[in-house]
This record gives sequence, structure tokens and C-alpha cells, in this order.
Amino acid sequence: MTFWQTRLGSIALALVFCFSLDQFALHQNSFIQRLVVLAGLYVTLAVSLNLINGITGQFSIGHAAFYQVGAYTTGSLAGAFFNKAHLPGPAWLILMMFAGAIGASLAGLLVGLPSLRLKGDYLAIVTLGFGEIIRIVVQNQKALGGAYGLTIAPRFQAIWLVWLLAILCISVSRNLLKTAHGLPFLAVREDEVASSAMGVNVTSVKVTAFLIGSAFAGAAGALLAHFEGFISPAMFTMDVSFIIVTMVVLGGTGSITGAALSAVLLFYLPEKMRDLSDLHLSTIVAVGICLVIAVASIKRLMDHFHGEPRKRAGFMAGVVMGAVVLVPILGALLNNFDPLKTSVEGSKLRLVVFAVTLIVLMLLRPQGVFAHHEFSWAWVRKLFRGTVKAPEGVA
Amino acid sequence: MELSTLPQQLINGILLGSIYALIALGYTMVYGVLKLINFAHGEVFMMGAYAALFASWALGYTPNNALTGSNPVNLIVMLLASMTFCGLLGVFIERFAYRPLRTQPRIASLITAIGISLFLQYGGQLFLPSSPAPNIDGKVNPFIGNLEVTLAKGAGTSAAAAADIQSKAAVAQKSYDDWKLSHKGADEFNLPADGQALLNVKHDTDRAVRDLKDRGDSGSLKLSVPRGQFIMLVTTVILMGMLTYLVMFTKQGRAMRAVSHDFDAAALMGVNVNGIVTFTFLVGSALAGAGAMMSATFLSGTKIDTFFGMLPGVKAFVAAVLGGIGNIPGAVLGGLLMGVAETLVVWLGYDNYRDAIAFVVLIIVLLVRPGGLLGSSKVEKV
Repeated sequence: MTFWQTRLGSIALALVFCFSLDQFALHQNSFIQRLVVLAGLYVTLAVSLNLINGITGQFSIGHAAFYQVGAYTTGSLAGAFFNKAHLPGPAWLILMMFAGAIGASLAGLLVGLPSLRLKGDYLAIVTLGFGEIIRIVVQNQKALGGAYGLTIAPRFQAIWLVWLLAILCISVSRNLLKTAHGLPFLAVREDEVASSAMGVNVTSVKVTAFLIGSAFAGAAGALLAHFEGFISPAMFTMDVSFIIVTMVVLGGTGSITGAALSAVLLFYLPEKMRDLSDLHLSTIVAVGICLVIAVASIKRLMDHFHGEPRKRAGFMAGVVMGAVVLVPILGALLNNFDPLKTSVEGSKLRLVVFAVTLIVLMLLRPQGVFAHHEFSWAWVRKLFRGTVKAPEGVA
Repeated sequence: MELSTLPQQLINGILLGSIYALIALGYTMVYGVLKLINFAHGEVFMMGAYAALFASWALGYTPNNALTGSNPVNLIVMLLASMTFCGLLGVFIERFAYRPLRTQPRIASLITAIGISLFLQYGGQLFLPSSPAPNIDGKVNPFIGNLEVTLAKGAGTSAAAAADIQSKAAVAQKSYDDWKLSHKGADEFNLPADGQALLNVKHDTDRAVRDLKDRGDSGSLKLSVPRGQFIMLVTTVILMGMLTYLVMFTKQGRAMRAVSHDFDAAALMGVNVNGIVTFTFLVGSALAGAGAMMSATFLSGTKIDTFFGMLPGVKAFVAAVLGGIGNIPGAVLGGLLMGVAETLVVWLGYDNYRDAIAFVVLIIVLLVRPGGLLGSSKVEKV
């Protein structure tokens, strides 16, 4: 197949996927539609943050700020111009995506500039602080609705557009990684000084990464504003930034596949936990104790067991199984103590799960589930056939 | 914004800043030895406030049935409870969350720190009383009233006029009280006409007394500090003095400085590096505990919830960076400056932005002088 055939094929496939998802969601209730839309937005956010954090090696934990800038830019534009523009819905939405992207990338430029002087944890703090400043400033603007929020007149249920944006974001990242344009980004991640000695323009690479990443977040914000019909500063707090960082870190900093998959997973699981019934405190304590024991023993196995990998995996599976079996027994035992008998709303556990995921992951696999690996068809073939088929013409 | 209130605002800023300084010391010490920003430090502070709250409940100052009267021993018990708990919590976090990751890139520790702080914030909600947010009962504080210093006298009032108006007020009060005695069970918000007339007279004379006093005070310049907050400042200074002694004149302190100067070389010279790191976390977290207990007890109207430590933690971190992170006097200076900056923003009338000023200061400092005020920015060697 020629280059253009595969390209057109992937584009057609993406469009078919988006529209069939749209058709599927149209027949579901509004809660499921919301889930599908927000999952798509989080995929965009996580993959775009992965471009900054994973591929370029900066450490930004203020991604919600760009999301917010995009949402508010388009929110105020929609209030002022939608009725005068006389555009059909999708055209207006696409226009607004561009507007949100431009607004957010201006903000990204503002954050990207300090990143030239700062590294690691300092940059993290500055991005976090920047996000908070934007939120507080918006909160105090009467024109933007202040703390009460902003209502956006035209609402659109463009599920296909949300997922098209996610796929666009993924493909931009993927193409950046696979082509020569992405090499400077990877070089900056590995060693800034060495890459600048090799003639990489570190400044422009960092700023470009921030620009692209924040533009996608801004476009996502535009779609969020038009989907929800209402935005308020409370929707863009530090927690949102932390959740996006968790998605990137869980998937493996630098892995697009990892970011996208963990975004869907980490978005869906807490939503599922909303309808969790009340739990006894004793169960939670039991889970906590078993988790600590399991993590400690797995960590010990990883550090000190130098036998066969297969045997090691077996031991680990055994530890996990043992922990799972231990939970109900310990829970029943602990239930005899009075202070632990109180019940807790299961939905309160949502962010605790995030926190525990982060800690456990960092202790056991700091590089994330996928590390630097990406999904590829060769890998799938290997899974089924046991070997990688050598490309034609290679002996 | 009124210029005559400026000295008072500066004093308030210093009082607030002394708490930030105590927290900032923990950040700066940990950064000094491990080069790690302990994001969970604000949450250690929050747990310290809860420890103080539970200690006050154990001493009998529960919300339903608070003892009246107190003595300084109660405060010392609360302080020690909070410091001990926080110290142990800090050591625990270091041992189980940071030490296993010491060989990994620093970002891993940073993410773990974020994880721990989220865990304490949201996990705490499962176990700790947080809605409605409790507060430490004010009765536990035996130091009531204000310390006042008069910098400039006011216009003054004539004694005769004062005596006249006060006697009128006393008469009005008495006649209203008599009327109330004879009309038992009258609804105070819906009085019959005669009672209402007496109440109005009483209110008028009371207001006249206050007016006279205010007119006498106008133009005067008074500084007033609640006694409790003065004790807080004194305790902070004592703790800082103890810390300075510890770091500069003891064996442990010398080891701490050695580790912060060069981690590996200190280990080679026979310093028990792990022990020193544990000790640093113990001391730094205990200082945060002291700050938490004092701010929850002496700053009036403080409500404790699981997000209690978030903003003070961030501001104290900014204070540490402002003073030069890793530098102990710098943390104190930065803390005081942050406190003053915050009250000045409120004084200028931008009280909605009091939480944003910390980040603005941070970004300016990092761009203009990344090493901080007292720190030295080192050139990175390759």
C-alpha cells in the first residue's frame, strides 16, 4: 500500500469510528452521553499533557488552566457573537474550537516562557500557581460570571467532534514522535544541555510543546463549554490538573497509548464509584491494610528476588490473590470493633482511589504501566503468533 | 485603605507570617537534605490541627460541654500532642513513601508527594470530622483580651460630658430592665409600644456613649494584638531559637548541615544519612505541628477541615522559595514577608486576591532571582 492509501484509510476509519460512536450514544440516556463526551475530553487533555510532560520532559501540573482558558474564551465569544454569526452548529463549534485553542495557546506561551529558566519541581509549582492565578482572576471578574459561573446559550451534543479532536490530538502526538520533527522534543527530554550542544533550539522546542499542548486543551475546553452549557471556576480546580497528571503518569509518561487508555479508565472508574453503595469503615480499613501488605511484599520481591522471571510473576500473583482473599476475612474481624462499624458513602472514595493509585504506582512501577512503549500492530501480531514477522526483503 | 491602619496591618502580617515561617522551615529543611519538595507538608500541618483539636477534646473542651476557664498547661499539652503526632507522621511518610524512591528520578517522589497529599485530604474526610468543620473551643485559650500600645493620643473628650452621657445611659438601661422585670415573657423582637419606647431610648444612649468614645479616639494611633497571638509569636521565636541551636551547635545539627551540603560525601564520612533524614523530617514536621496548633487555637474563627493545610502549605512553600530554599534564616524571612504581603493586599482592598498573591510573588521570585533572597543561585555544572 502506498503512503496515501494508508493515510486516507486511517482518516476514514477515524471518521467512521467517531460517527458510529455518535450514533451509538444518541440512543443512550443523557448520563451515558455525558460519560462518552467527558471521556473523550479527558483523552484529549491527557494526550496533550503527555506531549508536554512525557515527550518533551517538562513537568506541568496546571493543565486545567488551559482547559479553563479555552472554555471561558469560547463561552464569552458565544455570548457575544453566536446570535449575530448565523452559522450552522458544527461550523460554529469548529470555529470555537479554533478560538479556544488560540486563547489557550496564548496562555501556554505565557507559561512556556518561564519554563525556559525553570526545571523539574520549580516548573511544576509555577504551572500550578499559574493555574490557580487564572482561576482566582476569573472568579473575580463580574463580566465572566464570577464564582457563579457563566451560562452559554447554544448547546451542542457533538459527540463525534469530541472524539475527532481526541483522535486528532493522538495523531498529532504520534506523528510528532514518528517523524524527524519530534526528535528535538525527545532530545530535550533526555538531556537539555547535550541537545542544545547538538544544535537543538531548546527554547523553541519547549515553547512549541507548551503551545501545542495548551491549544488542544483549549479546544477541549471549547467543546466542554458548548456541551455543558455552563462553566464555573469550580470546574477547573487543582484537582482536575492532578487527575490529568495522574492519567499521564499511570499510562507511562511519554506513552500516547498509555495516556489515552488510562484517561478512559481513570475517568470511567470514579464515575462508576458514584453509585457505589455505602461501605463499612471496617471494609475500607481492611482493604487499606491488605493493600499495604501486598505492596510491601511485591516491592520486596521486585528488589530482592533474583530467580526466574516466571517464578517471580507467580509469587506476585500469589501475593495479590492472598490479599484479595484476606480482605473479607479481615473486614469481618474488624467489624467487631465499634468505631469501625460506621458506614461511609462510597462516592467519597473517588479521589482517595486516585491518590492511592498514584502512590502505589510510584512505589511499584515509577515509569507507568506502558512506560515508553506504544501500541503497534507488530506487537499484536507477536501476541498471537509468538514472533514478530520480519518485514519483506529482510533476511 | 487608610494610612493610619498600616502599622496595625504590618503587625497582623508579622503574626500571620510567623506561622508561615514555621511551616516554611519544614519545607526548607527537607529540601536541604533531600532536594525534594515535600508537597505533603501542608497536609502534615492539617493533621497537626486535628491532633490539637482531639487533644482539646480530651482535655474536656468538647463542643457540647466545654469547660470554662483554662490554664497554660492545657495549651502546652495540646502543643506537645500536635508536635509529636506531626513529627511521627512526617517520619512515617518519609520511611514508606519517599525512602523507597530515593534512587528513582526526583519527579517520582514529587508525584508520590502529590498522591500523599491527596490521600490525606480526601482519605481524611472518611475518618475525621470535617463537615460541619469543627474548631478548637475558644475557652481553651486562657490569654483573653488585647495588648494595646498607644502610639499617638486622640483628641480626647471632656470628662463632664462623658460622665453626663454615661449616667443617662445607666438610667435608660435601668428603666428598660425594670420594665422587662414587670413584663415577664415579653418577646424582645416584638415589644408593646411602651417597652419599645424604653428600648429605643436605651439604644440611643448606648450609641451616644460609643460615639463620644470614638470621637475621643479619633486621630489616635493604637496597635492592638490579642494576647493569645502575642503568646503565639513568643512561642514561635522560642522554637526558632531552639532550631537554630539544634542546627548550629549540636552533633545532629552538624550532621544535618553536612548531609545538606553533600549527601554522598556525608555518607562516606560516616554520617548515618538515613537517620539524619528521618531526624530532619521529625523536626520539620513537628514545627508544622506547632504552627498548626497555634493557628487553630489563637487565630479566632479558624475552622478545621481536611483542606486546612492546602493554602498555608502553598504559601509557606512560596515563603521558603522566596527566602532561598534550603536556607533556614531565609525561610523565616520569607514567611514574615509572605504574611506581610498578604495583609497588605487585603489592606489595599483586593481581599479576593489574597490567595493569588502567593503565586504572583513566587513567579516573580523564580523569574528574577531563582535562588531566593538569601540563597545563592548556583551555576549548573555539566
